[in-house]
Amino acid sequence: MTSLTTSARAVLFACASLGMCLLCAWLLFGRGASPLQTDLLAMLPSTERNALAERAVERLARASGDRMILLVANADDAAAKDAARELGEALGKRPAFTSVIAELPPFDLDQLVTPFLAHRFHLLTPADRALLAAPGFDAAAALARRLNEPFGANTGPALGDDPFGWLQHWLDRQPWNGGSLVPEDDLLTAHRDDGSYVLVIANLAGSSYDDTVQRRSLGVLETAERDIVAKYPGTRVLRTGAVFYAAAARAGAERDTHVVGIASTLGIAALLLFAFRSVRPLLVAFVSTALGVIGATTITILVFGQLHLLTLVFGAALLGEAVDYSIQYLCARANAGDAWIAERGVRQVRPALLLALATSLLGYALLALVPFPALRQMAVFAIAGMTVACASVFWLLPALLRQPARAPLAAPLVRLALGWQRVASGRRALLAIAVLAVAAVPGWLRLGHDDDIHLLISPPPSLDEQAAVIRGIAGFGGGSQFWLVEGADAEQVLQREEALTDRLDRAHVGWTGMTAMLPSRKRQAENLQLSCNLAFADTIGSHPSGSELPTEGVGADRIGERTCRSRIRAALSEAGFKPDTAEAYADAYPGSPFTLADWQATPAYTPFRYLWMDRASLVLPQGNDDVATLRDLAKGLPGISLIDKPAGITALFGRYRGYASLWLGGALLLVGAAFAWRYGPRAAWRVLLPPAAGIVFSVAALGYLGEPLTLFHVMALMLVLGVGANYAVFLREGEPHSADRPGAAYAGVLLSAVTALLSFGLLALSTMPALNHFGLTLLLGIGFTALLAPVSAPGRNHA
Amino acid sequence: MRRLIVLIVLLFTGTAHATPTLVDDVLAHLSTHQAVRADFTQTRDNPALAAPQVSHGELLFAVGHGMFWHTREPYDDTLVFTAGGTSRVDAQGHAQRVRDVNRGIGQVTAMLQGLLAGRSDEAARQFDIAADGDLAHWTLRFTPRQSRMARVLKDIALKGGEFLDGIEVDMANGETTRLDFSNTRDAGTPSAVEAKLLGIP
Repeated sequence: MTSLTTSARAVLFACASLGMCLLCAWLLFGRGASPLQTDLLAMLPSTERNALAERAVERLARASGDRMILLVANADDAAAKDAARELGEALGKRPAFTSVIAELPPFDLDQLVTPFLAHRFHLLTPADRALLAAPGFDAAAALARRLNEPFGANTGPALGDDPFGWLQHWLDRQPWNGGSLVPEDDLLTAHRDDGSYVLVIANLAGSSYDDTVQRRSLGVLETAERDIVAKYPGTRVLRTGAVFYAAAARAGAERDTHVVGIASTLGIAALLLFAFRSVRPLLVAFVSTALGVIGATTITILVFGQLHLLTLVFGAALLGEAVDYSIQYLCARANAGDAWIAERGVRQVRPALLLALATSLLGYALLALVPFPALRQMAVFAIAGMTVACASVFWLLPALLRQPARAPLAAPLVRLALGWQRVASGRRALLAIAVLAVAAVPGWLRLGHDDDIHLLISPPPSLDEQAAVIRGIAGFGGGSQFWLVEGADAEQVLQREEALTDRLDRAHVGWTGMTAMLPSRKRQAENLQLSCNLAFADTIGSHPSGSELPTEGVGADRIGERTCRSRIRAALSEAGFKPDTAEAYADAYPGSPFTLADWQATPAYTPFRYLWMDRASLVLPQGNDDVATLRDLAKGLPGISLIDKPAGITALFGRYRGYASLWLGGALLLVGAAFAWRYGPRAAWRVLLPPAAGIVFSVAALGYLGEPLTLFHVMALMLVLGVGANYAVFLREGEPHSADRPGAAYAGVLLSAVTALLSFGLLALSTMPALNHFGLTLLLGIGFTALLAPVSAPGRNHA
Repeated sequence: MRRLIVLIVLLFTGTAHATPTLVDDVLAHLSTHQAVRADFTQTRDNPALAAPQVSHGELLFAVGHGMFWHTREPYDDTLVFTAGGTSRVDAQGHAQRVRDVNRGIGQVTAMLQGLLAGRSDEAARQFDIAADGDLAHWTLRFTPRQSRMARVLKDIALKGGEFLDGIEVDMANGETTRLDFSNTRDAGTPSAVEAKLLGIP
């Protein structure tokens, strides 16, 4: 390799890097929408057996859509209402929102009732069905009771349009009546013991997951909230909506990124300055690392189209591993003194770096096999980052580091390294490892495990509390458990859902579902017959008995209809209705069935569209979240399954925690095989011992710390294996080249380890449980491995 | 909107918008009776009906517990309204939950409970209240303040002296409901069934 080709390569590499930087900048900032993915759901793996169930989960989670749902609360009713009005006005004026609903537009009650009149004989509540189906239903008594209800002023459909109250009962059961909000002073208001709650809904001008939309809308809300709280002291604004969760996740991740990124950068810089006593190595190391991170970001966005928050934070920590390669090269330069030739340096470190890269990539590649979008992205990020950083050492750094180092590696570091190396190698160290291994056993035995979904998604508890209050008052916002009803066509779905909801009604389990709004055609036909089941038949000339209700065929229908009209007319006249009222009501029979198209065209049902998926529907339990009970309720019903995403995630976490443990064993064997190939079977075990013991001790330490083992701990252990193997390799490969400087090779390893600890270890401070577990495990694992690394070098007599 | 019925109850309250002394005095006076019994006659007329519907019976109202509404004519039926919901009571004193009862009724009694227990701000929020007469013969008239409600409810009048003697509800659709109370007295000791179903210790 001549000097010319070195420069040429460096120039080529620099050009490629520059291109990559530009591409990265364009990907990040040049395309309008930020590729940063703040939707935590996107990080979750698929858990459900089919795509339909996954889609249903997603629909439910996003049911609240790109909206802010706010409840303005104040102990004083007037203050709550005025505050809500002003909040609505303040938000409505800003372009961050397309529309804000606080004050209701004037509407006529008739608008809600009239569309249902044509279908009134087809729509019956379960209670009315039961009454009508009971033998000996007495229409006269039923009408008398209704007409003499205490305080029973009729406020829904007009009495003459709905003499039995069937339609009113039906409308009362529609889901928009689910909450306790009532229109008052043109505002939707609920009263609780602690004051009044007024609903304000603000529709975002864009997606909840869009960075700009988030910042703008939250900023506007914050200002408006401050104003109304100042004006109406004691006002609280409860909030829910995807935008709040996404923003909280983003804020947490950004904080983590800053802490990890800045702290590790500063720490690594200080360390490198101390070790190499020169600024140039520091800059070189940072160029190499930065290229790694930029390359990783570029490739990740190119592959996935976006960057998860988790990846971002993890990427900040990856600095500590990417810098290892340049550190090795810089150590080689420092140790070579005046005899330094850049190209020879590359040749010297190349085997170690390649082996180290191979083991790291092996670790991350295993991570990529896990079917978690977030983990897969982290793996791709790491693989790309490591590869680019390593390539920069081979192709760019030689050109930047032609001059010999001005000073050897800092003497205190080398002395420290040598001191520890003497303590921690040879027989004594093996004995100590054996003793520690025994001491680790109780730690292992104490180890529990935890597979909860909160490892990946842990929204601020206050947001969940507010969402629960809003769900209680307003009746919307969904849980994460529901029944999925599937069928060959809409009618079958509805019939199957009715089989379930009938059972739920019998068990007094509350639910929200399609069939409360749109009964199956079959059920509507039954309702039509039931509404004719009036025991007035004997007062009429041609009267079939109740059992001869119209069933099938045009002729039967026609006779049935005529008979029904007579019965209805007779019942109403008998009960004291005016003849023309009775006539008009009877003539309205049978009307027409309420169809899917009618349902879709009814504006009041728009908020509930997420319940319908053409060949499937969702039924949400209300107030009962005992999964076993919910599951039992659907037992034996065709086409119905209980979907429980959190439980699905937990099961998946648990399963992959098991797999990951096996993979860890497999990876250990693979790395062992690689070592055996390079160092021979007799020496390989020594090189393998530090990472293996590091893993064993880390797990024991987790047990002693009372940390339950999670999938993320096990994943981190794979990285410990990858990184830990590097150290053993660096030491083993480096020793021969620095024989004249005892301790220098190990000093380089320690330098790598401390930089890794600085970055990965800081992840332990992360607010995301998954990253926190990663960080803690890496802190322990890398710490142990680095301390044990001297064992891997061939025994020294001075030990 | 179906809950407008609720407002009937609000009658029993109301402060700021009427001759303050009379309204306050009436409410203060009514609230000295924690449980009352009365005979009632309810007369309802509606444009759809050939003749008004008339029913008779007895009621028991207990502040903080609920209401028994025992209709004797034209049929025998006992409903009990508590915060927990509405039930029908059979001859043996067993309560059966009524599901599709006009939801307004249950809320009327629930609100009545709250109002007579001292939360009287709601009526004033919803109505203009006009008071007439003196403590021995008074009339309180409640007119909706909001157009949304006025489209459904015309007005409500409350008459009384020592006790509440009558309620008249005029709906915008022409329906009127008139309640006359007689033989009103403090309830005394509730029966075993009443005590059980109303949760009176």
